[in-house]
Amino acid sequence: MSAPIALGKFPRAILHIDGDAFFASCEQARNPELRGKPVITGKERGIAASMSYEAKAKGVTRAMRLSEIKKLCPEAIILPSDYETYSLLSKRFFDIVRRYTPDVEEYGIDECFADLTGWQRPFHMSYTKIAEKLQDDLTKELGFTFSIGLASTKVLAKLGSKWNKPNGLTAIPNRKIHLYLENLPIGKPWGIGPQTSSLLQKYGVHTCLDFVRRDKEWVQKYFPKPIQEIWSELRGESVMPLQIEPRADHYSIQKMKTFTPPSNDPRFVFAQLCKNIESACMKARGYKLEAKKVYILLRTQNYEHHSTEVKLSRPTNFAHELIDLLKPEFDNLFKKGVLYRATMIGLIELQEPNLQPDLFGSSLKIDGFRRLYEKIDEVRAKYGKHTIHFGASFLAHQFTQHSGERGRVPERKNHLFKGETSRKRVGIPTFSTELD
Amino acid sequence: MDSIILYQKIQAFYEDNKRMPSVREIRDRIIRTKSMRKTKELVDALVDEGVLRRDKKGKLTPTNLFTSVKKLGFVEAGFPSPAEEELLDTMTLDEWLIQRREATYMLEVKGQSMINAGIRPGDTALVERGKQPKHGDIVIACVDGKWTMKYYHILPGKKIVLVPANPKFPTIYPKEELRIEAIVTAIIRKY
Repeated sequence: MSAPIALGKFPRAILHIDGDAFFASCEQARNPELRGKPVITGKERGIAASMSYEAKAKGVTRAMRLSEIKKLCPEAIILPSDYETYSLLSKRFFDIVRRYTPDVEEYGIDECFADLTGWQRPFHMSYTKIAEKLQDDLTKELGFTFSIGLASTKVLAKLGSKWNKPNGLTAIPNRKIHLYLENLPIGKPWGIGPQTSSLLQKYGVHTCLDFVRRDKEWVQKYFPKPIQEIWSELRGESVMPLQIEPRADHYSIQKMKTFTPPSNDPRFVFAQLCKNIESACMKARGYKLEAKKVYILLRTQNYEHHSTEVKLSRPTNFAHELIDLLKPEFDNLFKKGVLYRATMIGLIELQEPNLQPDLFGSSLKIDGFRRLYEKIDEVRAKYGKHTIHFGASFLAHQFTQHSGERGRVPERKNHLFKGETSRKRVGIPTFSTELD
Repeated sequence: MDSIILYQKIQAFYEDNKRMPSVREIRDRIIRTKSMRKTKELVDALVDEGVLRRDKKGKLTPTNLFTSVKKLGFVEAGFPSPAEEELLDTMTLDEWLIQRREATYMLEVKGQSMINAGIRPGDTALVERGKQPKHGDIVIACVDGKWTMKYYHILPGKKIVLVPANPKFPTIYPKEELRIEAIVTAIIRKY
């Protein structure tokens, strides 16, 4: 047996908590008829967004196309995504974790890091016991399982949560790190991609243990800082702080929508892009942010991507300005005879508006548009997001986003409680309503 | 240096030090130049724009653009109004109906099986997951892959049965271990 690479147990105690098949589990928790069956969400996207463990057992993987899934697993139950319910449960998930520590990094809708360092004494429990109790609360109150990794660093905690899924709890104290890394392929840890992994293998590093046995100078010589950090973290030295503040996701805003059937009509595809531009700009205005740069992306039927980026002379969140500006860029990207299935807009380098008058006196005009968009947003907030839109996106508003059976909406949106409207529902997750 | 960046840096200085920098400090620590003339020009530009102010002695003072935390107003001395005192003890309808927010779910009642408990089809039930049920509670259980709402009864010998509030429906004697999903905490009927 090899020698340990670090001493002690938990100089820091970091949890990584990961919802098991989160979206599919949210569905199984609200509807007992789905339990024990292969459940897949993502119907409206045409690919599996999340699949229950029963579906995983049949070989269904993430992003698999629905047509393929039907061949592989004909009994699969394929549901449209119900993001409203998933978000409500995600928020509850984080709230429950915060009962145990305020230091929580919401890393995704279905996973978070939590720093428990120092909480053993107040709770009169070991870190492992606290993690068990938290896991129990989550399962009891949300109705499905979570996997937890406990270690001194984020990278190790993340390895731990994956170690034994579903419903696993894996604690990796520092003095046992080497046992976990011994046979772990170098491509496994969070942050080591295929490029880095193949480069490491060229240097004879095949397992994570090989990697952490190399000395610091060697890593510093051949690899950039992010990889050096992973090296430290794998050795049990915490160098990646938790990002406790709500993630500044809105510092960039993306809107991507897939449509079916795919189209090769430039007017239709451009209308789809315009609809995304309008939604993205509305969101940016909601956050009171303006973009300095934007990019657009077209996805073909064969999943090829074509994109371009544009730097703006002045930050903006006005849709009409972006539509005018991006039309020629779109024409350059668009290839005749190619089928497209999705468009995307990204607003990047977002910043708060600079309210100072500019040199060229266009600020009055800008102020006029600002007030116009305020009114438009008010109307949209009251009567629905798509009640007012540009002529440019007209074609995208003509039909539902997906023709045929994929256009189905989740049960929650079809089943309204008295007093709810299609735009405003009670913020409490629901059980499916088959009762006798 | 761009005047906006300069302004942001002065703002950052103010937040760190809780005071405004002197023009010399702006020259040495913020712009990092040797030219006092250049520094004064940049600062004067900000003063002209109204972002910075100078006091009588010519020292820089912050404008209200600098306060990140706003005053919440003044507390007026005097007798507190009795009405306000009373209000401290009220709760919202939400708080009254929901004890454990993270564990509470909603569902619509279907069927007649609890009609004699006053629970009608179309009523909205608030239910709480993860609580240990007691004898007499109304619970949501999963029977044959479906939700069912029944009374939870513990018979002598600790046997659990699910009892409907309607004689037309049978009492359920679970064969295997029964999983109680949630306990009904409120029934809401909206007209």
